[in-house]
Amino acid sequence: MTPPAGSLLWAEQLRKAYGPTLALDGAEFSIHPGEVVAVMGPSGSGKSTLLHCLAGIVTPDAGTIMYGGRELSAMSDAERSALRRSEFGFVFQFGQLVPELTCVENVALPLRLNGSSRKEAERAALTWMERLEVDELRKKRPGEVSGGQGQRVAVARSLVTNPRVLFADEPTGALDSLNGERVMELLTDAARSTDAAVVLVTHEARVAAYSDREIVVRDGRSRDMERAV
Amino acid sequence: MSLSTGERPRTWPTAPAPGRRSRIRRVAADLAMGVRFAFTGGREGWTRAVLTAVGVGLGVALLLLTTALPHALGVRQEKEAARTDITFTGRWLPKADDTLVVANVGSDFRDDSIRGRALEPEGPRAPLPPGVERFPAKGEMVVSPALQELLESDSGALLRERLPDRIVGTIGESGLIGPAELAFYQGAEGLAPHIDSGRIVRIDGYGDPNATSERSDPVLLLLILVVFVVLLMPVVVFIAAAVRFGGERRDRRLAALRLVGSDSGMTRRIAAGEALAGAMLGLVFGAGFFLAGRRLAGTAEVFHISVFPSYLSPSPLLALLVAVAVPTAAVLVTLLALRGVVIEPLGVVRAGRPPRRRLWWRLLLPLAGLAMLYPMIGDGRDNGDFNQYLVAGGVVLLLVGVTALLPWIVETAVARLGAGGVAWQLAVRRLQMSSGTAARTVNGIAVAVAGAIALQMLFTGVEDDYTRSTGQDVAWAQVEVTLPNAVPVAPAAEKLRNTKGVNEVYDYSEGHLGDRARDPQAGTTVTVGGCSVLREIADLPSCADGDVFAVHGAERDTGVDVAKLAAPGRTLYLDPSYEGGPKSLEIPWTVPQDVKTANPRHALLAGTDRGGILITPKAVPDTLTPALQGHAYLRLDESVPDVHDRVRNTAAAVDPLANTVTWAQTERTGRFDAIRTALLVGAACVLALIGASLLVSQLEQLRERKKLLSALVAFGTRRRTLSLSLLWQTTIPITLGLLLATAVGLTLGTVLLKMTATTVRVDWSSVLAMTGIGAAVVLTVTLLGLPSLLRLTRPEGLRTE
Repeated sequence: MTPPAGSLLWAEQLRKAYGPTLALDGAEFSIHPGEVVAVMGPSGSGKSTLLHCLAGIVTPDAGTIMYGGRELSAMSDAERSALRRSEFGFVFQFGQLVPELTCVENVALPLRLNGSSRKEAERAALTWMERLEVDELRKKRPGEVSGGQGQRVAVARSLVTNPRVLFADEPTGALDSLNGERVMELLTDAARSTDAAVVLVTHEARVAAYSDREIVVRDGRSRDMERAV
Repeated sequence: MSLSTGERPRTWPTAPAPGRRSRIRRVAADLAMGVRFAFTGGREGWTRAVLTAVGVGLGVALLLLTTALPHALGVRQEKEAARTDITFTGRWLPKADDTLVVANVGSDFRDDSIRGRALEPEGPRAPLPPGVERFPAKGEMVVSPALQELLESDSGALLRERLPDRIVGTIGESGLIGPAELAFYQGAEGLAPHIDSGRIVRIDGYGDPNATSERSDPVLLLLILVVFVVLLMPVVVFIAAAVRFGGERRDRRLAALRLVGSDSGMTRRIAAGEALAGAMLGLVFGAGFFLAGRRLAGTAEVFHISVFPSYLSPSPLLALLVAVAVPTAAVLVTLLALRGVVIEPLGVVRAGRPPRRRLWWRLLLPLAGLAMLYPMIGDGRDNGDFNQYLVAGGVVLLLVGVTALLPWIVETAVARLGAGGVAWQLAVRRLQMSSGTAARTVNGIAVAVAGAIALQMLFTGVEDDYTRSTGQDVAWAQVEVTLPNAVPVAPAAEKLRNTKGVNEVYDYSEGHLGDRARDPQAGTTVTVGGCSVLREIADLPSCADGDVFAVHGAERDTGVDVAKLAAPGRTLYLDPSYEGGPKSLEIPWTVPQDVKTANPRHALLAGTDRGGILITPKAVPDTLTPALQGHAYLRLDESVPDVHDRVRNTAAAVDPLANTVTWAQTERTGRFDAIRTALLVGAACVLALIGASLLVSQLEQLRERKKLLSALVAFGTRRRTLSLSLLWQTTIPITLGLLLATAVGLTLGTVLLKMTATTVRVDWSSVLAMTGIGAAVVLTVTLLGLPSLLRLTRPEGLRTE
């Protein structure tokens, strides 16, 4: 099978087991540049595993993942790490900011890992923080800001490298609805403005509403859902 | 609607009314809840509890060992005293039916000493040595289990040549000072004529009835005291660190309890209960480790010291003190740690920027320590014992000062650290945020190194007082063999010369000449040897076989007019008798008319100028031989394997009573060496313990950050960067800790040396060695933690289900 024309990231027949537990059992996926795809499903359905496989964080036991014409599943760990550093961005449920670093240092971290100088990285980081309306927090540490603010800092960190794909795993899971909506607005707006594709794992319909397309994962299998307009 | 329809009114279950319990019962209930929490929480909960218990247990085991050591050493001393036979008291006993002739036939095998005795009972009531059931007959021996094992092994084949007697039994525990001791008793005949040679005595009982304890040496007591304090302090610091394992997780759990209504007092009591549980389990583990270690002690030998497990019994009072002090300390440390943390229902709040640490009270501790030691400066060893309370207090305060100063120093230093690479930034920021944790981690090492530096200085400073030069020139000869009286030296020397690895043998015989047969007024040494050997003893004008020389003016003959004593034609007596002793050989010898004069020289053969009368072999009448004792000095080819043992074998084959001594340039007081050995053993245990604690604490921190580390790797952070960051996180505080330890160690060392009135000298090589060992422990721990870091940063760490 060949990837659909114009797809940026595409996967077929993904299988992944953790011990006796089958997390993915023939899952499929595709996304185009600038597209926002929500991956939905109940707890334990395999949606996070699908995200981790697509992002090259874990390797599937079977199946193929193609990214930009290259087979992701055949890449070495170092190649996948380099790809994650330069072309992917991540937002997790609890932000996973480094508690010792200030907010601006956290946002600048991916750029510094890519070899940018401290000043250059922090300048770019501040631009994104302004855009996500958290620039006043730049000198604060994650422990000193609210959950919503921290998550916006995490979104800024995920976008600072201008990634081509943004992976968001339950980005609003730890936020109240108001803060969750604000984070989703900022995240999708920012991604669309940079033509980044967004893989959004969620189990909340109101969060999935920000997507262009939904995929439902159940028992390790995925199914494309037609969106009722 | 009526009840008769069968419907019941819809009511919610009501909660029971709050209980009215006394305050004591409430406290007990809170503590009990804490104890329960310590062991719940599934695998992680158990792991945490076990880690804490292992940490505390190791500390407790070491404390118990320390309390048991004095008893163990005491029992060894008692056993040694109970089997004492050769007492050098000079008491002469006549032969009787309750006497025994004992000869010291001890020897060495490679690096081990072998205690050996030849026994000749003279009557049916002769005393049996402790641990021996019957006297071995000639050609038989009873041996210690360790010696039996060695003799039966391949590696003991060379020794078997020296000890060919048939083994007829083993020496019981009551006759040995340790399970690894090499000892034997062999049957012998014809020992009595050799009595009085120093190595052979007649006794009617074992033990030294006139044993007097040595006068205590203030400096040695000071050393012992400081060794104890220095070794125990890091253990206490270690225990304090161990009870804080799992602190962050516990804080989160306490926050959850606050959410369901526990007030801050209850929270603290629950935390105390958790700490108590860890400490109590630690006590059980510690007792287990100690008992296991005690069993192991029966099979191990450390620095040539072994003890029977039964010797290692801690004093009940001290054991009780440990059992009470450790849980109490655990609770206090936990409550102290909670001071800087506010546990709120929605989480743990640690002030983002805690108040800066104050220096003044931290400085007070070491200054108070110095103030306690100051009054003893200049006391030296002539003013009685040092005040042990002031010494212990002063040293403890100085070392506690390290643990108080280090957090301030780390905080101040890392606050000033600038930018660097990502690894550096991650490490520095982490240190800035929790400098206290970093300082606590290295506190134990810093205290141990500070103490060790001070002790090394003290040891090096007073070493000369406990070391004396033997005067032996090891470049000239490496082994000296002394034969019993009347054993001809020439054939023995020939056999030694033919031994593999022996390059050269210098041999001579000597005896004592007196001016009278009984109770001589004047006397000197007579030496019989070839011209080449006699030239090593004195400056001879000329020499030919048949010549006799009188050496005038030798230092050894101070007070003796050799010229007068050796007047030509005068009759002298070889081996004269003395009042109160047995009758000696009293062999008359007349000084020849042609006796020549020789000048003394610093003799290579004995380390001093010998003087006396020198006789070449042709000038010696056969009648003198029974009173002459042969000596042979051997120059060896040390590259020949086991050359020393080959020489010992040859000497034993010549005569079992031959004494073989390996030469050394210096010799040290046994007690000084014993204390130094104890320090080495203790320091090794303490450093291993602290290393283990560091590893546990590092692994715990890594586990706490598992999710974050996985997230960092997920967005592309190289594992190399994280590893380097971990290394920096350890290197920065340990460097600061070692610098502080060096400063405090040098200060303490200087004060201790001034107390003993010894010139202050810094042995920089040992300072470097100590700090190097400390740094090596940290580096090793970091390297051991890397596999865990790599495992924890696997992407699977992001999984939550």
